[in-house]
Amino acid sequence: MLYCSGAIGKIVRVKINDGPMKRFCLFFTVLLLFSTPLFATDKPRRIVSIGLCTDQLLLLLADREQIASVSVWALDENMSYMIDAVGDLPLNNSSVEEIIKYQPDLVVASAYAAWDTAKFLRQLGYQVKQIPLARSITDIYSLLRQFGEWTGNQQHAESVVKQMQTELAEIQQRYAGSPQKTVIVYSPNGFTIGANTLEHDMFTHAGYINLAATMGIEGFKPIALETLIAADPDVLQIDRNLSRPDSLATAYVGHPALDKLIEHREYLDIPTRLRICAGPMITEAIENMAQRR
Amino acid sequence: MSIRALEPRVLYAILLPILLLVFLLALNVGPVEIDLGKSMRDWFNELTTIESLILFDIRLPRSLLAMFIGATLGLAGAALQGLLRNPLAEPGIIGVSNGAALGAVIVFYYGMAGFAWFLLPLGGLIGALIAVSIILLLVGQSRSIVTLILAGIAINSVGGALIALALNFAQSPYAMQEIVFWLLGSVANRSVNELFIALPFMLVGWGMILYCGRFLNALTLGEETAKSMGFDVSRLRLVLVLGVTASVGAAVSVAGNIGFVGLVVPHLMRPFVAYEPRRLLLASAVTGAILLLVADIAVQLLSSNGEIKLGVITSLVGAPFFLFLILKSRNVLQ
Repeated sequence: MLYCSGAIGKIVRVKINDGPMKRFCLFFTVLLLFSTPLFATDKPRRIVSIGLCTDQLLLLLADREQIASVSVWALDENMSYMIDAVGDLPLNNSSVEEIIKYQPDLVVASAYAAWDTAKFLRQLGYQVKQIPLARSITDIYSLLRQFGEWTGNQQHAESVVKQMQTELAEIQQRYAGSPQKTVIVYSPNGFTIGANTLEHDMFTHAGYINLAATMGIEGFKPIALETLIAADPDVLQIDRNLSRPDSLATAYVGHPALDKLIEHREYLDIPTRLRICAGPMITEAIENMAQRR
Repeated sequence: MSIRALEPRVLYAILLPILLLVFLLALNVGPVEIDLGKSMRDWFNELTTIESLILFDIRLPRSLLAMFIGATLGLAGAALQGLLRNPLAEPGIIGVSNGAALGAVIVFYYGMAGFAWFLLPLGGLIGALIAVSIILLLVGQSRSIVTLILAGIAINSVGGALIALALNFAQSPYAMQEIVFWLLGSVANRSVNELFIALPFMLVGWGMILYCGRFLNALTLGEETAKSMGFDVSRLRLVLVLGVTASVGAAVSVAGNIGFVGLVVPHLMRPFVAYEPRRLLLASAVTGAILLLVADIAVQLLSSNGEIKLGVITSLVGAPFFLFLILKSRNVLQ
């Protein structure tokens, strides 16, 4: 390309002498300019992630040299599955200033986390890609593939998908004999998880009937404690591993009526880091759940 | 319009059955239909069933809490109106409730509540005490309504801002959303834990306020007259203030700032007790309990998930009444 541009310069200077050659060279330059993406096998080199779920996908799929920074959440003991992979990578608090510092050629974020930062970065002309919310395990597969495409690691992504599929099939086979159980989720602020969510799909894969979905709840909705108790589930999944100071929200899961119910029921406590994000770690969560049937 | 005062016997023969009725109604209201008879039987047979759990671990503590907090607010309103000899005095309006909420927020969100059960209501008490002291300093001997309201606005604003600040710096990721609870109040999802935490402080506070009944009667004639009648004014005033702050502090520390109950109830009851401050105390307590139970039933009927806060209902009723009182006392203001 450089050579040809040089040639154009020469031609312009010599002026018109040979018209066809000039036209050819111009055409060739333009062609080259527009087709760079076709030729470039270049992966993004300075990727910044500004949220927990994209942190984990990045650490999982991208080459280490590609990563410029991940968010502080990547080191959160409760939330992050990939703490060990972070190493000495620089951390960010998903603020615009910090991210610009890295001059990223790609910023990855979840559709719902730090959306204001993502919007601002886009306005400043940065390439921002947002992963959609996964509502099923199939969504995770397409999400992994898409992320592989963005970061130029398609093959790696494909192999992760294949491995997940194999593991899930194995789990399903291993626990096919156990009876189905009913389950209900109760989390801070009294929220439960209904149909059309990743968690619901995970329950189904693990051989459970999610009573919130049976009641007609879709997505994440608050449920009255009375309604939960009256639903009479075999298993309760409660978020109690929040090692944070008091709040009214966590008082919901500490209600004495719930303690009494747990005495007479089974209690499922799947670590948050295994189920909070879309990724291959959810097979471990499903295995945990299926084991308890 | 004139309402005839009622004999205490007649008054309570009307109020107490209403209270009982409203309380039973509150036990009956909830997102799930349950057979109260079966709940009772299961409970007596010491069976943990769905029915007994819902009645005894969810609805009973909530309704008792609403009842006791309503009584506290009615009583505190009557006491403050008598003490400050001002018809607009009320824990919410003069900033005592926000002060209590601030104290409770600091104890609750900064991990101190876990050390001992009494620290949370104590935090509420200290916050309320600071607010009421500032009010007494600002208002002093003045009986001006304007001074009291302006001082109340100032203390309320500072209290609200400090609550927001404290929640902002709190570790819990939920803290900021919970400002609504502290500013508007709720008894949704409250359990026996909160009931037992708040009750001792409320009972002691009630005792102290009721003890000052005769003093409040004498105070209507002015402090000098009360003194000449043999009342130890400064000691009794302290008892009254401590009684109000203990009970309001405890109530707010488990249910947030529920506004206007303390304002509306004493005005509602005054004609029935022949405008006698001492008799107004108990009547306001019972009526406050009824009113808050009704408000909580309304909350549950309007939204099964308790998303409407109790203070929304009481303010919707109370704020227009507040306006009405201001308009009525316009002559005094000018």
